Amino acid sequence: MRRALAALLVATSASGWPLPAAADCPLDLGRGTGWVMFSERAIVAFRPEPLRIEVGQPFSLLLNVCTRRNDPAELVAVDAQMPDHRHGMNYRPTIVPAGQGRFRADGLVFHMPGRWELDIDVRAGSEVERLSHEIIVK
Amino acid sequence: MSRWRALLLVVTLLVGAGAEGWAHLQWPEDEVRAIRAHGPWPPPAPVDPSNRVSGDPAAIALGERLFNDARLSGAGTMSCASCHQAERNWSDGRARARGRAGLDRRTPSLWNVGQGHWFGWDGAADSLWAQSLRPIIDPLEMAGSTGHVAALLRGDPTLGCFYRRAFGTAPGSDDEALLVDAAKALAAFQETLVSPRTAFDDFRDALVAGDLAAAARYPAAAQRGLKIFMGAGNCNACHFGPRFTNGEFGDVGIPFFVRPGEVDSGRLGGLAKLMASPFNRLGPYSDDKSGASALRTRHVQRLHANFGEFRVPGLRQLGDTGPYMHNGHLATLQDVVRHYSKVSPDRLHSDGVPLVRPLGLSADDQADLVAFLRSLAADPPPRPPPLTECGAG
Repeated sequence: MRRALAALLVATSASGWPLPAAADCPLDLGRGTGWVMFSERAIVAFRPEPLRIEVGQPFSLLLNVCTRRNDPAELVAVDAQMPDHRHGMNYRPTIVPAGQGRFRADGLVFHMPGRWELDIDVRAGSEVERLSHEIIVK
Repeated sequence: MSRWRALLLVVTLLVGAGAEGWAHLQWPEDEVRAIRAHGPWPPPAPVDPSNRVSGDPAAIALGERLFNDARLSGAGTMSCASCHQAERNWSDGRARARGRAGLDRRTPSLWNVGQGHWFGWDGAADSLWAQSLRPIIDPLEMAGSTGHVAALLRGDPTLGCFYRRAFGTAPGSDDEALLVDAAKALAAFQETLVSPRTAFDDFRDALVAGDLAAAARYPAAAQRGLKIFMGAGNCNACHFGPRFTNGEFGDVGIPFFVRPGEVDSGRLGGLAKLMASPFNRLGPYSDDKSGASALRTRHVQRLHANFGEFRVPGLRQLGDTGPYMHNGHLATLQDVVRHYSKVSPDRLHSDGVPLVRPLGLSADDQADLVAFLRSLAADPPPRPPPLTECGAG
């Protein structure tokens, strides 16, 4: 099966296409097989593990969370839903901080083929912001 | 008949077959990719890290023996094989199972059960061994007991011998541990119940290999049915992968009242049982000390939407395993297809694009879909006779 297709950045800056990333925010997880999401405040680079998301098979996400101002940022929640069918996952991921802005989310399962929306909640200061990303799993 | 007339007849038959049965529809790349996901078959043999005797030949032999041993039941009259009958595709042909009492759900087939990750119609077990243990001690099913099973293993010399071969020690004094070991041997046996390759598998392999001539041997009606299965029907949203199931749960509009005023809550109740069970993968009886194989159990969430959901069954060897659905509500495959053609959307309460909706299939479309489903079955090869002597093999 082909790798999950994903290229659509849903969360972008208010001014349009992504603002430049903070200089010392590592984006390595977003290269190659990963993705980078931007919002007005936050930058999230992530990739799945294993790299191929298979229908019905558990996977994890490795994430790097930054703010544009290099303030401390925290990954609060990771969830996913199929917007077309209005249902979420049957599993609730757990998040493990790995230090230096890195996190690991375990226990994701996309149990159907189709369009999934991945929701990543990031806290910077008192603000929690949701960044969303579409993934099509075949 | 002259040689020339005979040759002419053969040519005519082949041409006729080409027109009626040997045909291939157009299969675009995205459909070939979707069909590819339904194989290969057979899959690799399952290995369950929570079961230390999974795949072990001695445990398989013990498990097969226990599977057919009515002494596991409280009254000594019912074995696993009483309901899971090999000649009935490891089910019993009843709409609802009969144990010591009448039950509310159908006996599921055991074909390919080792490939699953949730077990039972409600997914109350997260391993095949935990699922195998449950009916033995359920008072409504085999009505055995922990002590009864342990005493049988300790007291029967032949079973004791098979046990030693499988587990490396004589049956111990811990009754519950022995019950679990018996269930793990039962699971090891059931993991070997893999359905045979079918006409669909030949078609799938040929299509993936680009061998259109071989693919064209797959009956045209089955090909048309497959188009509906993946297209208008969207059946493969849930009936996904080589087993034709994603192993999860759904509400497909089957009534869940079991008696007036009493409902079968399905997955909602199953998850409560799973979490309360000392025999789940998070408990002390799992042999996977890394905990890696308990990942689904750790992360599964119990949602209100689980009410009335039941496990999505695999579709292999479906042709003769009716009645169908979790409670035997539908007698034939034709009835199943008709159900999906006419299901009431009001019953399903979907607020998005519904996964299950009335398909409104024509009679010809329904017949094609049934032809496709029947192509997922084949005659299984005869099973080797079980070992009767502990020292044999």
